Amino acid sequence: MTVGADIPRIDARPKAVGETKFVGDLIVPGMVYGKLIRSPFAAAKITRIDARAAKALPGVITVMTGDDVLDIDPYYGHAIKDRPLIAIDRVRFAGEPVVAIAAETPEIAADAAELVEIDYEPMEAVLSIDEALAENAPHLHVTELLRKGLFHGLGEFKLDPGNICYHHQFGRGELDAAFAEADIVVEGEYEFPAVYQYAMETHTTIAEWNTTGDAAGDEVTLHSNCQHPFLVRAEIADLFQLPVASVRIVVPWLGGGFGSKSYTKMEPITVALARKAKRPVRIQNSVDESMVTTRRHGMKAWMRTGARKDGTLLVREVRAWLDTGAYADNGPRVVATAADAAPGPYRWTAVDVNAWGVYTNTSPAGSYRAFGASHLGWIGEAQVDEIGRKCGLDGVQMRELNLLEPGEYVRPGGKPLDADLKGDIRKVAQNLDWDAPKPPNTGRGVSVGLLAAGAHPVSTAFVRMEADGKVVLYVSSTDMGQGARTVFSQIVAQELALTMDEVRVMGGDTQVTPYDRSTGASRSTTLAGMAVLRSGAELREQLFDIASQQLGLPPEALEMRDGAIWHEDESLTYPDLIKAHFGMVGGELIGRGEVRPERGSGSYAEGPVFWEVCIGGVELEVDPDTGKITLLKTASVADVGKAINPKQVETQEMGGLLQGIGNAIYEEMLFDPSSGQLTNGSLFDYHIPTMLDLPESHRSTIVENADGPGPYGAKGVGEGALAGAIAAVATALGDLGIDLHALPATPERVWRAQQAARGTQQADTNGTN
Amino acid sequence: MLAPIEIHAPRTVPDASALLRQHGDEAAVYAGGTELLIVMKERLTPVNRLIDIKQIAGLREIAVDEDGTLTIGALATHREISRSPLVQQHSPYFSSLERIIANTRVRAAGTLGGNLCFAEPHSDPATLLSAVHATVRLESSDGSRELQTEEFFRGLLETDRRPDEIMTRIALPKLWETTGVSYQRFKTHERPVATVAAAVSVTGEVIDDARVFVGSVGPKPQRMTAVEDAIRGQQPGPALFQQAALLAGEAAEIDEEGFESADYKRHLVAVYVQKALQDASDNAKDRQL
Amino acid sequence: MSIETVPATTLPTELRTEITVETTVNGRAVTKQVEARRMLLDFIRDDLGLKGAKRSCDSQVCGACTVLIDGLPVSSCCTLAYEATGKQVTTIEGLSQNGVLDPVQEAFIEESAIQCGFCTPGMILAVKVLLEENPSPTREEIEQNLSSNLCRCTGYWNIIDAVERAAQRLREGDRK
Repeated sequence: MTVGADIPRIDARPKAVGETKFVGDLIVPGMVYGKLIRSPFAAAKITRIDARAAKALPGVITVMTGDDVLDIDPYYGHAIKDRPLIAIDRVRFAGEPVVAIAAETPEIAADAAELVEIDYEPMEAVLSIDEALAENAPHLHVTELLRKGLFHGLGEFKLDPGNICYHHQFGRGELDAAFAEADIVVEGEYEFPAVYQYAMETHTTIAEWNTTGDAAGDEVTLHSNCQHPFLVRAEIADLFQLPVASVRIVVPWLGGGFGSKSYTKMEPITVALARKAKRPVRIQNSVDESMVTTRRHGMKAWMRTGARKDGTLLVREVRAWLDTGAYADNGPRVVATAADAAPGPYRWTAVDVNAWGVYTNTSPAGSYRAFGASHLGWIGEAQVDEIGRKCGLDGVQMRELNLLEPGEYVRPGGKPLDADLKGDIRKVAQNLDWDAPKPPNTGRGVSVGLLAAGAHPVSTAFVRMEADGKVVLYVSSTDMGQGARTVFSQIVAQELALTMDEVRVMGGDTQVTPYDRSTGASRSTTLAGMAVLRSGAELREQLFDIASQQLGLPPEALEMRDGAIWHEDESLTYPDLIKAHFGMVGGELIGRGEVRPERGSGSYAEGPVFWEVCIGGVELEVDPDTGKITLLKTASVADVGKAINPKQVETQEMGGLLQGIGNAIYEEMLFDPSSGQLTNGSLFDYHIPTMLDLPESHRSTIVENADGPGPYGAKGVGEGALAGAIAAVATALGDLGIDLHALPATPERVWRAQQAARGTQQADTNGTN
Repeated sequence: MLAPIEIHAPRTVPDASALLRQHGDEAAVYAGGTELLIVMKERLTPVNRLIDIKQIAGLREIAVDEDGTLTIGALATHREISRSPLVQQHSPYFSSLERIIANTRVRAAGTLGGNLCFAEPHSDPATLLSAVHATVRLESSDGSRELQTEEFFRGLLETDRRPDEIMTRIALPKLWETTGVSYQRFKTHERPVATVAAAVSVTGEVIDDARVFVGSVGPKPQRMTAVEDAIRGQQPGPALFQQAALLAGEAAEIDEEGFESADYKRHLVAVYVQKALQDASDNAKDRQL
Repeated sequence: MSIETVPATTLPTELRTEITVETTVNGRAVTKQVEARRMLLDFIRDDLGLKGAKRSCDSQVCGACTVLIDGLPVSSCCTLAYEATGKQVTTIEGLSQNGVLDPVQEAFIEESAIQCGFCTPGMILAVKVLLEENPSPTREEIEQNLSSNLCRCTGYWNIIDAVERAAQRLREGDRK
């Protein structure tokens, strides 16, 4: 049995000895090095670029500006085509590429960048959501003229004039009546910070433009650390007017993704520079460059929740504005997903949710691990606890009272709940010793949420069995560290009764491995894994058919184990079967598997593919003098249907949880309020969690109810713990009376909230005297 | 990425000094490079000649003089200092500090002299050494001079060192038997938010002297004379230290930049001065047991 | 509206910008002429083709570029190749000998302390130094020592377990 076992990762050894090649480790013959000059201004016209001295520097191949891409339609964006691949006449954020240089060495490219003179005419910039929405605010785009992207997936597409790039609204029930019925109403304004994914490996792309001269025309090959190679391929083909098949994207192992490498990022500018240089070009971001390439959306929101005095939740109203920066990137999808998750997994009489994506003159925001559940989840959960405190129910009691049961609808028209949330919340409480006495200055909180996971359910895979009975699996999910290739190997080994060393998995290569929609939204195990399972099952059927013919027995009389087909004590190994089938020691069998939206219950058609459960538990201590938080205990529950590799599920949980802790307590991108420049674009000033930030103890439980739509009842993992941790930090602080309306929970914010709470207590005491 | 550079490796202090004088703004003393190279990679400095003083003999020795003074060569790395039995024996408080400076890699390459000469406002040794009357020696082709650490720091990234001078050693005097030292720091990012060093001498039940320095919140280590005056001649105790610490919160010059508000930094200064005073006075008493 | 110019700068020309680096890398003597500004990380990756050490933060905070000079860990992204002159440099490629892994590497594999693997070479070298100096570190000592080697994937728990396992194995190996 390979499925369900703690199989060591197939990539562990090469990574431990430093052999694994990432994009930045590759050398393409003739490759030169790109360097971008980025705008120091958040909004400006570019009035003059003088690159003569740079071009004259020995070793410089070419210098590219916006003028060099006017022969094509240079605008891209999978949701909204709002972004030129290099600034054309104006810049919209500090950090936008204005000039691209290609040179023989990275040093020469950097030297050349010093020699370019650029004149800017600064324009009025909008650097915050409030500034962008103010009356008479300058508009970043002529929104009503913007075109939809190839993968907008947003239904009808029409934008009003202004700085709104997307509006998502839904509601049900009678809002006013429900609030009138409520005994308790809590409401507040909240802020969530822009944060950076911080994959250790920065965005790196190598582009080759090959003028083949043959009838099929030019070809582009990209080596890129992208999560969604097939979507990038489509966008590159569209931009450069090439057939899709003429664009090849090769994806090696990734040094982390977390959403930062989803959709198209550095690929268009690298291809354009290679086209101009007539040489393969590599562009590798520094960390500060990657930080202005993508980030999580900052948000401001208003929420109110009403309940009966017995704690029964009745009604919730939400308005949220998400800062997507200068270009939409995946903003519309993030806005929609955040809004969909805002009510939380509770039974409501009425809800009303409005969310907007807002353009500002800051760096673009896109996908970030657990997007959707992270933005509004902690706010909703803090309000649930606030109501609980008013009616004498603790966090667990409130959730036991109000959580949806399996089979109940999370949202009308969507997939009913496919998880036992009450069971999960009891487990996390148990992991946290919920009823144990609390020392002073210690707060304890739990949280629960749902994330619409799976994205669009289209994945394909095929598996080739060679004449020696070993297989090669072709599947395009990107392994960015989550262990996808290991899990796929386990599944195919399971389906074909092979050992792990008899399975090889190809890396993503759009000219070799078959179509997969994307790697994200916790979809790889569930969807690509299902395609892998089906490819294995199809190959197994072929083996049974051949064996059945050879043995003259019906397939039902046969059994597959240990790399052979058996009838009682008689067996035919796979090499025997292939030899018999082809009449020689050669040939191969190919199994094919596919996943696509299907009709009927339990299918992928009704959306989402599955509800990813976000559960968190936190016990923390606050230093009353400084407001500094120390984590004492964390707990999580991985409700995964079936753990194909329990050890990998655990590490996904722990990694996601600590990243959530980073979001909740430490991380925040700061933009200078006058220049719009990122002021903390290095690890000196942007703190991601280290070993010193670990809680004193952590307990995680894996729940396997086989209730997922993936292989063996599996569903995805990796995002829930992140969102759960953010919300549990908020509820644990709430338990201490610290009502935080902005994250991260920095010492100063916590200290101020503490001061405010003490002030209120003081006032209360004075009042009673 | 660095701009093109030339590296010079003089063998003597006068040679190094002459090179520095010859090349002016284009030259910089180079030892561990842990701070300098980062600035140069950003191309924020005109420096393109590194005067590597690591080839000069005799600049990394650690010794104790006849009068009990601990001398540390300017080229001694943080790692070497933290592992030196002499330092541990003579100034255990400094040994402890050197163990927590920056990170393991920076400690292996970075030198004490380099740290002080860079005069980064968050420097841990700068603040602590100021509190314990440490001195630094500066040498050039014209000779050498010795000055108090406190006088060495002039402002943000600014010291009393002339461009052609080289720091050659740091000296920590032997503390009175009655003196306790404490170093406190509050950290949320790579660089600390507030740091406090206190040296408190307690004779009998009375504080007979104290030196208190606050670092990180302003351009350089700041002496808190108001705090020193408030506790001198008094009996140590939480109430006294709390009151005195508030004076530091008021007196400290606070950099308005950074993640935290000036108000909060003042509050932190008071909290950590109080901790440092208490800890230093407890240490003073422990030493006399 | 005023025009603001981001001006060009001029490059100096009268510098002797080349140096010769004579060093030993993973036991092999190496002599190469490089630019004086060459960083050790670029030297080992691009001049010697040893790609195990990685560039991430580029400011000696994250530890992904960690290599050893004379057995001590340095951030090769912020160390001049010049500094390797006359020294012994060890990279992750030098840790395993003839396909036999170091106990630290084995422990990382066994404890599943590796996800994306970008931090792994630097982390393993940092652990190697830690255990040479302190064969029985406490959990707190491990956390303190490795707090400047960042990992965004694992949440660190399995890495700490791997350090403990490696420490135990190294101690047992010593006793044999």
